[in-house]
Amino acid sequence: MRLRRLLWFNAVFSIMPVVLLAGVVVEGRVELPKSHSAPVQAKRYEIVTKGGVLSTQPPLAVVYLDGAFPRPASVPTKEVAQKDLTFVPALLPIRIGTRVEFPNLDDTYHNIFSYSPAKRFDLGRYRAEERPIPAEVFDKPGLVTLRCDIHDHMRGLILVLNTSYFVMTDTDGHFRLSGLPPGRYTLKAWIDSRTTREKPVELKDGQTLHVDFP
Amino acid sequence: MKLRALSLCVFACTACAFDIDDFFDQVDNALTASAFHDNLRVRLSGTLDLEIYHFEQPAPGLIDSSIDTLFNPRLILFLDAQVGSHIYFFSQSRLDRGFDPSDHGAQVRLDEYALRVTPWDDGRFTLQIGKFATVVGNWVPRHLPWENPFINAPIVYENVTPIRDKSAPFSVFDFVYGFYYYQKYAFNPVIWGPSYASGISVSGRLDRFDYAVEMKNASLSSRPESWSVTETGFEYPTFSGRVGFRPNEAWNFGLSASEGPYFRREAEATLPPGRDIGDYREFVIGQDASFAWRHLQVWVEFYEARFQVPRVGNADTLAYYVEAKYKFTPQLFAAIRWNQQLFDDVSDPSGGSIRWSEDLARIDLAAGYRFTSHTQLKLQYSYQHETTGQGNDNHLVAAQLTTRF
Repeated sequence: MRLRRLLWFNAVFSIMPVVLLAGVVVEGRVELPKSHSAPVQAKRYEIVTKGGVLSTQPPLAVVYLDGAFPRPASVPTKEVAQKDLTFVPALLPIRIGTRVEFPNLDDTYHNIFSYSPAKRFDLGRYRAEERPIPAEVFDKPGLVTLRCDIHDHMRGLILVLNTSYFVMTDTDGHFRLSGLPPGRYTLKAWIDSRTTREKPVELKDGQTLHVDFP
Repeated sequence: MKLRALSLCVFACTACAFDIDDFFDQVDNALTASAFHDNLRVRLSGTLDLEIYHFEQPAPGLIDSSIDTLFNPRLILFLDAQVGSHIYFFSQSRLDRGFDPSDHGAQVRLDEYALRVTPWDDGRFTLQIGKFATVVGNWVPRHLPWENPFINAPIVYENVTPIRDKSAPFSVFDFVYGFYYYQKYAFNPVIWGPSYASGISVSGRLDRFDYAVEMKNASLSSRPESWSVTETGFEYPTFSGRVGFRPNEAWNFGLSASEGPYFRREAEATLPPGRDIGDYREFVIGQDASFAWRHLQVWVEFYEARFQVPRVGNADTLAYYVEAKYKFTPQLFAAIRWNQQLFDDVSDPSGGSIRWSEDLARIDLAAGYRFTSHTQLKLQYSYQHETTGQGNDNHLVAAQLTTRF
């Protein structure tokens, strides 16, 4: 009898952290803006030009839980590559303090820079095979616009957030944010540099909440 | 007080930089359009330049002004269009006081237009037709106000020599001392700026090598009025080419050559009897190199030019410059350029020889600050000195505020 109780207690105890970790789930949809027109590369003074066209980046949104959360002990390193004369990914949400590497995967120079108040930097020109890969640590929250001093059309965005609870939508605007802690928060949807929608939410343990941002 | 006001102004500009950048990005989106499932893409962009020059007379380079302080505003509009993945079109039109800084009235011009076909994706072959910058040398890719670390051009692209394309000299002395009798705009440099002459070019890349060959309607030294096909036909074409070698992204080496008649049609009446425009040619050989790594960029160009001058013979000149730019911070950069042009002797009627122009040396110093990724201020000081003859000096101070959209 004592053994059975012990086994039952053990089973409950081993499952509990998993349940706690699963936390709350918020899912829904963000109404995304219309796609921008496809970018055009200025090739006026390049003696040698390749064929092909620049890829079109569909608009995406970032959904995040706003609030005061403890900083994690370590933040993973992220990457924004320069490939086929575009930033990949074109939009990267990160936790404050994240180190982002900028590998050049093209066979030509790039010169990545940002004049955004959240991070002002200029990496200069570097070759694809150079190591270590030039990187920056993003230590202030806000939107950082990445540009290339050589290729005028190149634009990339890094959204530096004060929270670890964020997710990017898919191209239809659907999102699923899981592992959230219970409590009262504001759920925000960053859509573009001028548009951030928000909704107050009350998250209860084990709940799956549906929130849309029309 | 002035310093405090200036600091406040710089701070205010920097503080609202993000909003300004955001605004210009919105403008960029509004001026870009696509259709037919993105198979047709069009983008309108441009720059607004406000320039002020202060110099001594005679005005240096291609500046054409009798007043010492010149205000030179300029609006440049670009149209870039991509049709499918292999056809590209661009044009450049300007509203300014003349192609080169001048005290003349406003004029509107279509300076460049070209259609480019790139049949293969790897860039081994490109065909371009229209009115566009020369393939010679390595200065053209940075000749526009936003990309150029300086406000003016290297000496070889703007120093007027005794060469005249509208009339032939009637003697050696008329050729050498013509400066005293004719207006400055009667003379030509070795290469007139980016040389937007009309024609056709073929270019491509084969592994680490690239090539470009062009046939244009006017020579490298020809004036902007000669570049249009309505002004100058293809009876006397100029052929130019460049072969480049790029061992890696940091280094780029090039060899250029150009050959073609340099007289305009109205000079025909002044040529020796039995001769025509095709008998007097400009030959140019150029070597260029560039290096770029992190925040440093260095460019070097050497040009040897020969003009066949009626009643004079061959007039040879050598011009070169070394230019370096360094970014100290993401927004602040400085540049320095050393230029020199040396002239050979031509034979005079008495059996002696005479230098056909005075040797020149010029140092250009510039500093630039980018308030935003769309607004840039450049300041430049140039000191020019004749290293032969009377040793005349000239000082130039210039400022240029550029807003690009």
